[in-house]
Amino acid sequence: MSKKNGRMVKRFNKGFIISHWVNALAFFVLYISALPMYTEFFDWLYPVFGGPAGARLVHRIAAVCFMLPLPIMIFFDLKGFINWMKNIFSWKKHDLKFFPEFAKEFFGRKANVPKQDFFNAGEKANSWLMIITTIMLIGSGLIMWFPQKFSQTVVMWAYPIHNIGLGLAAAVVVGHIYMSVALAKPSLQGIFKGEVSEEYAKDHHGRWYEELKQEEKKKKHA
Amino acid sequence: MADYIKFVDVTKCDGCRACMVACKNWNDLPTVTEEYSGSYQSHEKVNAHTWNVITYNEHTTANGGFEWLFRHQSCLHCVEAACEKACPEDAISHTKFGSVVIDHDKCVGCGYCTTNCTFDVVELATYKDKNGKEYRKAQKCTLCTDRLEQGLQPACVVACHTDCLVYDEKETVLAEAEKRLAKIKERFPNANIYNPQGIKGTTTVYLLADKPSVYGLPENPKVPLSQVVWKDYAQPLGKAMFGATTMAVVGAVIANAMKKDKGGHEEGGRDHE
Repeated sequence: MSKKNGRMVKRFNKGFIISHWVNALAFFVLYISALPMYTEFFDWLYPVFGGPAGARLVHRIAAVCFMLPLPIMIFFDLKGFINWMKNIFSWKKHDLKFFPEFAKEFFGRKANVPKQDFFNAGEKANSWLMIITTIMLIGSGLIMWFPQKFSQTVVMWAYPIHNIGLGLAAAVVVGHIYMSVALAKPSLQGIFKGEVSEEYAKDHHGRWYEELKQEEKKKKHA
Repeated sequence: MADYIKFVDVTKCDGCRACMVACKNWNDLPTVTEEYSGSYQSHEKVNAHTWNVITYNEHTTANGGFEWLFRHQSCLHCVEAACEKACPEDAISHTKFGSVVIDHDKCVGCGYCTTNCTFDVVELATYKDKNGKEYRKAQKCTLCTDRLEQGLQPACVVACHTDCLVYDEKETVLAEAEKRLAKIKERFPNANIYNPQGIKGTTTVYLLADKPSVYGLPENPKVPLSQVVWKDYAQPLGKAMFGATTMAVVGAVIANAMKKDKGGHEEGGRDHE
């Protein structure tokens, strides 16, 4: 991977990384603690949590953690957060062209993926799906947690919304993990240590890499 | 076996509460003490340990007189039971008697049935196990399914001294209900038989002296749309989607492995460019 040189470039700040992993860990715990309720097949998980009441408690502790990533990011890495927001609101030709090409690549065929931003179009789509499902899950989850504060109709609608949010989020997570672990392993260094190899930046986020180069030039000239 | 149903002719009820006592007795339910609310009614509504309550409606007649409207309030054992559909653990089911019962080994106390119940009947009871740890189970009237199994009638029906409560063959009961309705129409012009068809009927049929809403019953209950979206679409679709994503990943792993077999020599599998 670092055949040419070992040069690394900064990708994420600490705040962004912590936010990501709090989110991931909370989601995982929420998923596992709710799984026996979602399908009978996982009923054996109840004893692991010390019975349904234990699973409920774990789910609620994790639920509070699940609400932390946004404030963490805003407090500790506002710059990264703004960059993320700017990115996911920008949809250009190279973003749209990403998807058909990516599908080819995903199933092992030759593809010509156009140069991508700091976040590629797939990551942008992932971000949106994650934001939408998170809002669905937290909103409906709070209603289910405090049903006496809401009307019966609202509480009854919270169940399908929580359910749809989970189905979507779980599908997104499977794709997200597979893509990072199997298709773009070097990106893992980015989300663990905050740095990625220059080569990876060039290959996967061409437009971002060019921006970096230009900034470097400017600095040199200045 | 012919279908049997419970018939509640509220116009015969004199509010004696024998049905409530019999229920507590047979089902061995603890006392629930509630604050005095200014009414003769004993409890605000049915609760986890009080499976039936006689509601005392203070009603003004057409010519300005006063009368009590009593109703034996209990689980109606809906044919399309919202609690059964909502239960994520398949703990609620219909018996061969048409009664809706909760399997307490399966119940995890999540409370989905309590928020979904059409008639606000199911409630969570809190218990303590040997180690003092609290756990919850959903509780409600069972139509005395344990008695029915022995060829007995529900405890409340046996206790009723005015034949307000009857447990009999469905055809007989519905015919009797029509007869009674014709008889009381003059005194109670709004009288009606309550056997809501939006949920395919109930295993407890009422003869009401006034509109259902007067008794706090929904006029025309239906299977809620939220439940249809949730249980008929979202849940199966969510599971399918999770499966589809997993299959796509598996497909990608196989496709990439095959490509490598064919003569891929690059290590690391980085595929851009």
